[in-house]
Amino acid sequence: MKRPVIIDCDPGTDDTIALVMAFAAEELDIKAVTTVAGNQTADKTAVNGRKIVSYLNKDVPVAQGADKPIMRPLVTAAHVHGESGMGPVVLPEASIPELEIKAWDLFYKLTVDKGEKVHLITLGPLSNVAMALMKYPSLQEGIEGITMMAGSSGYGNDTPAAEYNIYADPEAARIVFDSGIPITMVGLDCTHKALLTKEEIDSMASTPGTGAKLAQDMMNHIYGFATRFGFDGAVMHDPSAVAAVIQPELIKTEPYHVVVETKGKYTTGKTVVDVMRVTKKEPNVNVALDIDREGFVHLVKRLLKSYES
Amino acid sequence: MKKPIIMDCDPGHDDAIALLMAFASDQLEVRAVTTVGGNQTSGKTLQNAMKVLGFAGITHVPVAAGASKPLVRELEIAPEVHGDSGLDGPELPEPTFSASPLSALELMEKVISESQEPITLVPTGPLTNIARLLIAAPHLKHKIERISLMGGSAVGGNWTPAAEFNIMVDPEAAEIVFESGIPITMCGLDVTHKAQILDHEIEELRQQGGKVAVMVAELLDFFAKFHQEMGFEGCPLHDPCAVAWLIKPELFTSQKLHVDIETCGEYTDGATVVDIHGITGKEKQVDVVFDVHRKAFIQLLKDSLQYYHQREVGA
Repeated sequence: MKRPVIIDCDPGTDDTIALVMAFAAEELDIKAVTTVAGNQTADKTAVNGRKIVSYLNKDVPVAQGADKPIMRPLVTAAHVHGESGMGPVVLPEASIPELEIKAWDLFYKLTVDKGEKVHLITLGPLSNVAMALMKYPSLQEGIEGITMMAGSSGYGNDTPAAEYNIYADPEAARIVFDSGIPITMVGLDCTHKALLTKEEIDSMASTPGTGAKLAQDMMNHIYGFATRFGFDGAVMHDPSAVAAVIQPELIKTEPYHVVVETKGKYTTGKTVVDVMRVTKKEPNVNVALDIDREGFVHLVKRLLKSYES
Repeated sequence: MKKPIIMDCDPGHDDAIALLMAFASDQLEVRAVTTVGGNQTSGKTLQNAMKVLGFAGITHVPVAAGASKPLVRELEIAPEVHGDSGLDGPELPEPTFSASPLSALELMEKVISESQEPITLVPTGPLTNIARLLIAAPHLKHKIERISLMGGSAVGGNWTPAAEFNIMVDPEAAEIVFESGIPITMCGLDVTHKAQILDHEIEELRQQGGKVAVMVAELLDFFAKFHQEMGFEGCPLHDPCAVAWLIKPELFTSQKLHVDIETCGEYTDGATVVDIHGITGKEKQVDVVFDVHRKAFIQLLKDSLQYYHQREVGA
């Protein structure tokens, strides 16, 4: 049976690849795509979200969410994702409509309201999810779990201590981590190992005009960026989280107690993972520590190939 | 020429071993030992330092008591690691000499200002004494060659999920030290958790000859129990790393990086925030030690203890 999911994202170069993969996966039933301010401003990520879904010819609602983090001003990652949020890629105008409904209202409508459960995949700051949990305390019953690209048990990437998605809205992250909803945190421990080599990118399906080519263009862009920063390949942050939902056996997780620092001078946005179990607190997060890279590459290839037919 | 050092410690099992390693080295000249509240209260750490040194026949170097509590926080101690005495395990006789009438601060100031050469500081406890020295005697800063310390961690903690004990106990002191501009070697959990002594090696110490080696084996029997309950295969020799790095730096690998100290976190106070990717662009002021050639390090410990045996038998 297909797994019903909602994808909350801030496209975003790697968000784009993640969406292309998710829409190709027969394992998933995508109920909605929601967008949030993050890699770029809320308006830009919303437009990008609608453009991507239109380009892939999918009939799925795309709803806009938070304009900014719940308690802080927005810090985008324009230096990574470009002015449009899509790097060098230019997509045609969106054909699907702009919706009135807000992301958090859509979460509720598609879950508790219908008596159904979905799995939430988040690829950006957690502002929309936190808004939803604040507005609809019963929402927990409608979300069977969250798989998020976020955090790190060790070093950060936006600051020495914090990963971008958590750093951008640490209070929202805190609300989500404390919610009791089962969380799988696909953070830098895992995503920094999900690298694609140039040869692997070149060997992907790439029929022009399809999602495959769109994903490959993004991979090439990320490859150039990541290798300038010393990585051995294109870092697939958001695609790792989608892969973890499509094929959970690809990632190795460990249950840990995790809290989000919101008050530090140097550590705000750090996901504090109790690796040595010194707090003796119950684990609340499945922390992804490793990924079967070969298996991941194989999955990406299979998904992109499905755009060929 | 021997490198002149001051040992600033809170013995503490691994502090005691670090002291013995420092005094045994023909490359180091320990000019003073100062103690600080940390693993246990300051009264106990002073007593423990003097007991260990007296037992090993080292009575010629002044030992002075330092800060009884962190700069702006209450003292947190680690009896679950080091026992009620701070040095549970072996039965040690009372100290055979008196403590210096000077305070740790006064003794450090005296040693540093009287020295012809710059002094290296080796703190193996909370950095309270060192921070007070830097505040009280800024004019002596240029005579401090380096601070080789046990503390911190690039990833993870041992007292809280984010912080290592020595830095956690007095983060403000650590901040003063790390921002002082003095070159720092940080032997944190990244390396000290690799500097483990295994059970059969503790037995080898016990058998190698000499009462000091037997005493160290007994210290490690107690210290290993706590760590093995935590899941370690052997027993990390935290503090000796800061000394061994000065004696044989070639046994270690390190990276020069910028490090900030968190003092305002809700969950992260005392975290040494290591900028591994160079994101901040700030000055790389710390040699962060990541790895050790474990077997050669254990051999250095054995050789150090052999020194006391030879002295004992008059060889």
